[in-house]
Formats: sequence, C-alpha cells, structure tokens
Amino acid sequence: MTQISAQDQRFEREALSCLPDVSRYALSLTREQSEADDLVQETFLRAYTNWHQYNAGSECRAWLFTICRNQFLRTRKRGSRSVRMDDAALESLASSRVFASAHESGLDRLFEQREIREAVEAAIAELPEAYREVALLVDVHDQSYDAVSQVLGVPIGTVRSRLFRARRILQEQLLAHARDAGLAGAGAGDASGDQR
Amino acid sequence: MTMPMTPMLDCESVMRQLWDYLDLELTADRMAAIREHLELCTRCQPLEQFERAFLDAVARARSEHPDPDALGIRVRSALRAQGYQHA
Repeated sequence: MTQISAQDQRFEREALSCLPDVSRYALSLTREQSEADDLVQETFLRAYTNWHQYNAGSECRAWLFTICRNQFLRTRKRGSRSVRMDDAALESLASSRVFASAHESGLDRLFEQREIREAVEAAIAELPEAYREVALLVDVHDQSYDAVSQVLGVPIGTVRSRLFRARRILQEQLLAHARDAGLAGAGAGDASGDQR
Repeated sequence: MTMPMTPMLDCESVMRQLWDYLDLELTADRMAAIREHLELCTRCQPLEQFERAFLDAVARARSEHPDPDALGIRVRSALRAQGYQHA
C-alpha cells in the first residue's frame, strides 16, 4: 500500500476542503458550468504543483481564489482595465440616499422579498467587470477586504471603493426593477426574516 | 431624528462607515461605537435594516454546483495523474 505523504495529507485537508467554495467562485467567473469545472480542475492542479509556495497558516481559500482568477484571466486573455477611483465613504453616503429613495417609494423592504433573487442575479451579471468581481468575492463568497486585496492584487482602498460602488449600482438597478414591476408598497408580507 | 449618541459619532459618521461595519471590517472600538449608535438611533436603524436585507439578498444569489461529488472525483483523478496519493 502506498504511503500517503504528509504534503498530500495537508493538501487534502487544507486545499481540497475548499473545493465547493472554489467551484462556486469559478462558476461566478465563467457563468457556464462545464467551463467552471475545467477551471476548478486547472486551479487544483496548479495549486498542487505550487503547494510549496503556499504559506501554512494563511488563508488557503483566498490563495486558491487567486490561482482560480489568474487562470481565468489567462484563459480569457484579458487586457488591463482602468477603473475610476471613487471615494468609498462617499459611496457609502450615496447608498443611504438610495435608501431614502426606496423609502419614498414604499420599497423599504424590497430586499426581504425572495422574489427579488432573479433580479439580483441579473443585476450582478450586468455590473462592470471590475465591480462585479469585488462584489462576488465579498458579498457572495464571503471574503474579507484583505483577502480580496490579495486575490485581485489591488490595495484595500480600491477594494472598498469598488465594492461600495458595486452595491450602490446594484441597489439602484433593483429599485428601478421594482418600480418597473410595480412592486412599490409590496414586500412586508413576503419578508423572509433571515438576517446576515 | 438626528441624535449623536456619543461625542464622536453622529448619524453622518455612522452612514459613512456603515458598509465597513456590516462587513465587520472596523476596529473593535469603532464597531462598538457604531453598534451603540444603531441601538439607539431611530433614524439610522431603518437604513441598517435595509442594508442588511440587501446583503442577505445578494448572498442568496450564490449558485451551487449541480453535482459536487462528481466534480470532486474528477479533480482528484486529475491530481492523481500528477502524483497525488491521497484517496
């Protein structure tokens, strides 16, 4: 019987345990299941080959997300993108104005409606790529600002400004969707009640 | 109503930092100060509830793999071809 090396045991325990998370992240990048599965496989092959570069004790999931994203970009041969820098605090304040607008339209509880899910997915898909990838990592894949800074190779301030801008865009689009769909004033009775 | 709950924090300060607060990205002291303000300020509470519901809605947009076991088998098989020895 083959003796399992300590390295492989560690890879199994620390890296492969993140497979569901990497799978979800890959799908959010590719938006197509078979392409996502290819990306997941390539991510873990690269991770295994470069396992000696992984710092024990650091966030393995963020390390795998970095490999996954880099491989995705390599596949897509994307050029560099320039994104306007925004002041994160101002974006935060702008979001409070979105709330005021929602309140005036009777849409205070819009986001508690389960029916909004498809609209949320569509709105995320329509975000400019630089904002979409930050929103996905923080809000969908539950990564910290620091981890996202590491994955994307940008300063934390850039993560915050892109994230807050992404959230404001999403909220504005969802409010517009709700108004178009005639949802104003509805929602309280549909509240799911679960909070993050 | 607008009511600063501490000498340091007013509603606008809280609004500026609300996303950082909800993401648990502030220092312990700052988290506590904002939490204290939100517990008492009736102007900021609806905003906090609105933003939390928004974050919940976005988090629910997460897609699950239709067959995670098959993907695990596929990845491990590819790894074994590279010398990986674990089951």
